[in-house]
Amino acid sequence: MSTMNTSAVSGIDGHGDSLWLKAARKFKRDRVGMWALFGVFIYAVIALGVVFGFWGGAWADVTGPKWAPVSAEYWFGTNIIGQDIFARALYSTRTAFEVGLLVAIGATALGAVFGAVAGFFSGTWIDEIIIWVMGVLDSVPFILLVAAIAYSLGGSPWAMHIAMIATFWIGTARLVRGEVIKLKTLEYVEAAHAIGLGKVKIIFRHILPNTFHILLVQATISFVAAIKSEVILSFLGLGVKDGMSWGLMISESTFEVLAGFFNNFIAASVLMFGLVMAFNMFSDALQDALDPRSVK
Amino acid sequence: MEILQYSLRKLIAGIPLVLGVTLISFLLIVYFGPDKTYDLLGKNPTAEEIAEVRSQLGYDRPFVPRYLEYLHEVITFDFGNSESTDEKVSTILSRTIPVSIALALPGFILGNVLGVMFALLAAYFRGRWIDKFIMGFAAIGMSISFLIAIIGFQILLSSSDGLDLFPVRGWDTSTPLQYLRYVTVPTLATVFIALGYNTRFYRAVIVEEMTRDHVRTAKAFGTPPARLFYRNILKNSMIPIVTRIVFSIPFIVISGSLLLESYFGIPGIGKVTYDAIITGDQPVLKAVVALTAILFVVAQLLTDICYRAVDPRVSLK
Amino acid sequence: MIAMTAKARAKSSDILLSVRDLVVEFATDQGIVRAVDGVSFTIKAGETVGLVGESGCGKTVTGLAILGLIPSPPGRIVSGSIELQGQDLTQLSEPELRKIRGSEISMIFQEPMTALNPVFRIGSQMIDVLRRHQQLSKRQAHAAAIEMLAKVGIPDPAVRIEEYPHQLSGGMRQRVMIAMALSCGPKLLIADEPTTALDVTTQAQVIEQIIKLQSEFGMAMILITHDLGVVAETCRQAIVMYCGSVLENAPVTELFAHPRHPYTLGLLGSIPRLQADRQTKLPIISGMVPDLLHLPSGCRFADRCNKVMQQCRQQRPLLGALPDTSTKVACYDPH
Ligand SMILES: Nc1ncnc2c1ncn2[C@@H]1O[C@H](COP(=O)(O)OP(=O)(O)OP(=O)(O)O)[C@@H](O)[C@H]1O
Ligand SMILES: [Mg+2]
Repeated sequence: MSTMNTSAVSGIDGHGDSLWLKAARKFKRDRVGMWALFGVFIYAVIALGVVFGFWGGAWADVTGPKWAPVSAEYWFGTNIIGQDIFARALYSTRTAFEVGLLVAIGATALGAVFGAVAGFFSGTWIDEIIIWVMGVLDSVPFILLVAAIAYSLGGSPWAMHIAMIATFWIGTARLVRGEVIKLKTLEYVEAAHAIGLGKVKIIFRHILPNTFHILLVQATISFVAAIKSEVILSFLGLGVKDGMSWGLMISESTFEVLAGFFNNFIAASVLMFGLVMAFNMFSDALQDALDPRSVK
Repeated sequence: MEILQYSLRKLIAGIPLVLGVTLISFLLIVYFGPDKTYDLLGKNPTAEEIAEVRSQLGYDRPFVPRYLEYLHEVITFDFGNSESTDEKVSTILSRTIPVSIALALPGFILGNVLGVMFALLAAYFRGRWIDKFIMGFAAIGMSISFLIAIIGFQILLSSSDGLDLFPVRGWDTSTPLQYLRYVTVPTLATVFIALGYNTRFYRAVIVEEMTRDHVRTAKAFGTPPARLFYRNILKNSMIPIVTRIVFSIPFIVISGSLLLESYFGIPGIGKVTYDAIITGDQPVLKAVVALTAILFVVAQLLTDICYRAVDPRVSLK
Repeated sequence: MIAMTAKARAKSSDILLSVRDLVVEFATDQGIVRAVDGVSFTIKAGETVGLVGESGCGKTVTGLAILGLIPSPPGRIVSGSIELQGQDLTQLSEPELRKIRGSEISMIFQEPMTALNPVFRIGSQMIDVLRRHQQLSKRQAHAAAIEMLAKVGIPDPAVRIEEYPHQLSGGMRQRVMIAMALSCGPKLLIADEPTTALDVTTQAQVIEQIIKLQSEFGMAMILITHDLGVVAETCRQAIVMYCGSVLENAPVTELFAHPRHPYTLGLLGSIPRLQADRQTKLPIISGMVPDLLHLPSGCRFADRCNKVMQQCRQQRPLLGALPDTSTKVACYDPH
C-alpha cells in the first residue's frame, strides 16, 4: 500500500518524463493528429515567410485590374480595387498566427496563474474573489466586452487581443483550479509545506508544472477560438484595425459575392477552414495523447 | 414554498454578479468610455460652453455618485432615452427582443434537438462508421466560421448564383409564410454551426453516462435498449444538457444574434446593440449589459431548479 | 413429452452451466488483450463455486461473458461455448439473452455505491426488473419487492423502497442489489466481489445473507472473491485463475488440503489453518504478473514459479484431471 502511494506520487511529481514520453509515443501513432500537425506546420511556414518578407508583402498594392480572374499572374485573382488576393490571403495567415499566438499565450498564462492561485487558496476569500471575477466576465456578452475595451482604450488596435485574453483565460483557469485542488492534497505538496517552502514557490514550482498538460491543450483551444473570433470581430469593424486578415477579406467579399465574384470569399474561407480544422484535429489528438485515463 | 424561498435566496446571491457586471461595464463604457462633449457642441466652443455640456453629461461629478445613478437605473430599469434615436430605451428593448426571439428560436431548438439526436446516434454506435461519420461532420462544422456559414447559405439559397429561393436580407413577420421566408437562411446557418458544437458536447456527456456502473447493472438485469437509453442514460445526461441549454438563453435573448441581425439587417436587439456599439449609445449599452447579467442570474436559478427535478441527490439548500 | 422433461430435469440437476474453452479479447491502443484465454469449468445446480485470482486475471470478464455483457467494442468473445442447461448462450440473440439476464442468471457487482441508478427510487428499479421477467401487476410487483427487501434484511422495507440509492449506506445498497438479483428466482447467481467495497462487519453480514438466501432459493452461485477464507467456508468447488486461464479447479477440501499447482500453494502459503480469519487477502507471491500484452509462450506462471522446468517455458500445460482425484490442474509437475 505504502509503496504504491509513493510511486503514484513520484509519478505525478515527475510528471515529467514518463507521462510526456508516453504521450509523445501515443501522439506519433495517431495518424490524424500527425497529419493535422503537418498542416499546422505548413501554415506556420507561410506565416513565417510573410514575417521574413519572402511573400505576401504586396498585399496592399493595387497591381491589377478590378476582379481579375484566376491566372498565372494572379493566382487567386484580384479584388474589387485590383489588389492581389493571393498576397492578401498569405499576409492574412500571418495575422491569424499573430492573433492566435498572442491570445493563446496571454490567456493561458493568465488562466494558469489565476486558476492555480484560486485552487491553492480554495475555500478562502482569494478563491471567492477570483471565482466572482470569472463569473462576471463570463456574463458580459463577448462582443460588448470587446467594444467596451475598445472604447476605453480609445480605439486601440490591441483592444481585440486584450478582450479575447480577458475572456478566454476563464476556461483555462477553471480547469487548472480543479486540478490544483486535487494536486494540493497529494503527499509531495504536503511535504513541500512541511519543509517550509513558501506558498509562491509551492504554487509555481511544484504545482503549476503538473498542470502543464491542461495548459497545452487549452492553449490550442484558445488559438482556434481567437482565429474564429477575429473573423467575426473584423467583419463587425471591431477587430483588426491595420493590416489584413481573413476576417477583413470576408468582410470585403460580402459585397462581391452578391455581384457574383467569389474569389476573395473562397480564398479566405478555405484557408481559414484549413487552419482551424488542422488545429482542432491537432488539439483533439493532443488531448487524447495526454489524457491520463488512456495513458496507462 | 421551498422553491420560492430557495429562488429568493438564489436571486439575492446573484447580486454580487450583477454588481460586478454593472461595475465593469460602467467603468469601460461610461467612465473611461467615449467623451461625448464635442458631439454636442458647435464649432469653436468657448470654455464655458464646454464646461456646461460636461456638467450636463455629468462628467464633472465623481465616480461613486455616477455609478450609483447607474445602479438606480438598473433597479428601476429606466435607462432614459437612446442618444441616437431619442427613443425610450425600455421601449426599444420591448420592441426588439421579440424580434430576436422569433429569429433565434427555431435555430436554437433545432440545433439542440438535432444535436442530442445525432449525439445519441453517435454514442450508441460508438466506434462504428456512423459515429465516425457524424463526428467527422461535427468537426467540419466546428471549423467553419459562423460568418462563412451565413455567407455560404446566402449564396446558395438567396442569390441569383444559387437557388434564389429566399430574400437576400431583411425581416418581415406579417404572415407565417413571410416569416418562414425570412427566417430560413439565418436558421440554417445557425443550426449548421451549432450542430457541430452541440453534437460533440452531447456525445461526450452521453458516452460518459453510458459507461457508468448502473448502466451495466441495468444491462445485467435484461433492460432493453430503448428503456436503458431513457431510464439510465438520457435522464442522467439531462443535467449537463439542460445547463448548456439554459445558459445559452441570456446570450440568445440579448446578443447571440448580433452577427445574424446586423448581417441580414433584422431589427432585433442584436442589431440595436451593434448600432449602439458603433455610435457609442451609452444608455442602450448600459441597459443591454445589465439585462444580460440579470438573465444570467435567472438562468443559474433555473438550472438549479432543473437539477433538483432531475437529480434527487441535489437538495435546494 | 413428460418423460423427456423429467429426463432433462434429471440431467439439469447434474450440470447447470458448462463453460468450454472460453476466449475473450479486448482491442486496446496497445494491441489485442486476451483477458480470458481458454477457460473451462462446469457448475452443478445449487452448487457454490469460488473463483479466485489476483486482480486483473479475468474474473469479472468471465462473469460478464456468461451474461453476454462483454462491452463491445472493444471486447468480444472470440471462441468457446457457454451452455446453460444445454443451451449455448454465445449463440443466442440479444433479445433472447435479455430474457435470461436477471431471471435465469443474475449478477451483482463490486461497487454498490455506483451500481444503482441514482435518479430512480430503489422501488422503481426493483419493480422494473420484476415486471420485465414476470407477469405481475404494479401492485404485485411492489409487494414482491418489499418482500425481497425484507428477506435480505433491510429494516422497514416499505419505507426504504421509496428512497433513492444515495439515501442508503453501502451495505444497504448491496443488499438492495442482492434483493434485485434474487427477485426473479435465478438458477445461477454471479456475485462479483460483492463485499470488497464494504467495511469489515458489513462484509461478514452481507456474505452470510447471500449464503443463507442461496440455500433458501436453491440456486447455484459463482462467488468471485479475493478472500480465501470465504471460499473455504462457503464453496464446494474452487477455481484458481491466473492471467486469463484456469490453473487449478478442485473441490475446496482438496484444494486446501492438497494444493496441486505451485501458484495455489503460494496463495495458500500464508493462510492460517483456522478458517475463521476472513481478512485473509490473497498473499503476495514474489515476482510480477506478466503483462497481458506480452504473455510468455509457455506457462504464464513460469517466471514466478520455484519449480520451473525447461518444458514449462516452451509449451503451456493444459488443464487436466489428476488420476484418482477430482482435481484438475494445469501443471507438468503438480504437488
Ligand atoms: N473494457 C475493457 N477494455 C480493455 N481491456 C479490458 C476491459 N475490461 C477488462 N479488460 C482487461 O481484462 C483484464 C481482466 O479484467 P477483469 O476485470 O476481469 O479482472 P478481475 O480479475 O475482475 O480483477 P479485479 O480483481 O481487480 O476485479 C484486465 O487486466 C484488462 O486488461
Ligand atoms: Mg473484477
